[in-house]
Amino acid sequence: MGVVRAHTRVRSSGRGTDVLPLLPFFIFTGYFLLWPVIAVTLQSFKGNKNEWTLDNFRPIVHGGPYLHSFIVSIKLALITASIGAVVGAFFAFIIVTYVRGRLKNVIDSISAVFANSGGVPLAFMFIAAFGSNGLATKFIRALGFDIYAGHFTIFSFTGVVAVYTFFQAPLMILVFQPAISGMRKEWREASTNLGASALTYWRRVGIPVLLPPFIGAFFLLFAGGFSAYATTRALTSGTVSIVPIVIGALVDGNTQASQANLGAALAVGMILVAIVVMSGYVWAQKRATQWRQS
Amino acid sequence: MSQTFLRKWALITFASLLGFTLFVLPVIASSIYSFQKPGGKGYTFVSYTWLVHQDGFFQSLGTSLELAILAGILNIVLMVPTMVYLNLKGHRFKSVVDFICILPLVIPVVCLALGAQKAMPSFLQNTQYELVFFFVIIGLPFTYRALDTSLQTVALKTLVEASRSLGASWIRTIIRVIVPAIRSGITGALFLTFALSIGEYTITSLLHWETFPTWTVVASQQNILGAIALSVFSFVGAIALLSTIALFSKRSAQHVEVNE
Repeated sequence: MGVVRAHTRVRSSGRGTDVLPLLPFFIFTGYFLLWPVIAVTLQSFKGNKNEWTLDNFRPIVHGGPYLHSFIVSIKLALITASIGAVVGAFFAFIIVTYVRGRLKNVIDSISAVFANSGGVPLAFMFIAAFGSNGLATKFIRALGFDIYAGHFTIFSFTGVVAVYTFFQAPLMILVFQPAISGMRKEWREASTNLGASALTYWRRVGIPVLLPPFIGAFFLLFAGGFSAYATTRALTSGTVSIVPIVIGALVDGNTQASQANLGAALAVGMILVAIVVMSGYVWAQKRATQWRQS
Repeated sequence: MSQTFLRKWALITFASLLGFTLFVLPVIASSIYSFQKPGGKGYTFVSYTWLVHQDGFFQSLGTSLELAILAGILNIVLMVPTMVYLNLKGHRFKSVVDFICILPLVIPVVCLALGAQKAMPSFLQNTQYELVFFFVIIGLPFTYRALDTSLQTVALKTLVEASRSLGASWIRTIIRVIVPAIRSGITGALFLTFALSIGEYTITSLLHWETFPTWTVVASQQNILGAIALSVFSFVGAIALLSTIALFSKRSAQHVEVNE
């Protein structure tokens, strides 16, 4: 044992070599994750003749369809993340409190499928279920509600909202469960012993503890909804113009440099929104762990 | 007592009903729909068989399987040593790696695709295997969690010291001692990456490669029923596969605990 200790101490004594085993990871993510993002950012500041310029951002800032696509994207992410967070948190609470063992594992992995299926299959399944002749539509109609009585179609903004909820809520179930299981039984007992009612417990202990992880999870959901592309693309074939679809249309089949640069500028806009969201997430995460450590 | 009992069952019933309506009903509805005869009454497998006979079905499926398997393997080869080191000695770097691993969830995939077009050398852009690297990137957030959770449940330091003091090399220690101990985390990471890769659409379509998902979208323009059948098949298949793994990995996790 002593030999091993001495051996490891010698190996880790040089501070600089500590990072060596992590080099493959840093090189890989540096090249395939950070470098592409940097390249897009640089491109967004390039003009037609490869000169530095801010022109690519002008059409976005000045309103019109490009700014509008950002508004649509943010609205979509906000609505679906809110619905998903509330519905998912409710399910996470039920699962943590009442479900154990194998059933919990199965529910977790089904949630994982739903959460990661945001994509092509989901869109087609929704067309089958909630299309104007879909079976779910007929079933709901038989119960006395016609979801097509208003302006609803599955191929519109509201349709996309409905489909997104289908993967946002399960994602919330997955990311919010640890926060709920982290709540100690002793807190509840202590608060009951001090004479607090269930309502007081939730108002004074439960909600303050759960709020930061809830907000953190909300930001994560927002980021997912904001950058989703496949579902909307397959469902509406491009009629709901969220930013990723606009970018795809600009870059796809366009050899013109100015179009590609405009696409890069839109992408940088998306990254900026993502950075804001990410800061919120990091902040919430810090608040969440503060509670646990004390 | 009976009041809390009632409230408990009222909550569970409500949650089950809500879950059924929101998640189970659409899956059942689209499953039944996929067996309907085109335009008529009655049920048939025709939408399922139609697909198989389309040009490119087996080719695109083969491509997707190959890329997904490669991504899964590369992911494990890269991340298992990284995560083991982080939990063993590299605690200082953990927050940095954690931060990098959450980035793919935050950076819009479209930006990654645009950047890939711009930044990757042409020899990489000329082969579909470039997708493997980006599939690994997309899988990072999930791999990190899966491996980290299972590494924290084993007494890593004790295992490594025991193995090293018996004269095993580092590579042997990782392969023979650590990997078996965190088997459930590795299977989890492997299958999540595999599942993500096989369904990946955004990067694939923006980089103009044909895999199973992009082929499906093109095929759906001819036959929407066929596309629905395919979606149901892949979705229900994924649920069945992952549920089986969940049942299996539960057992292996218990097994490890007993061994300790």
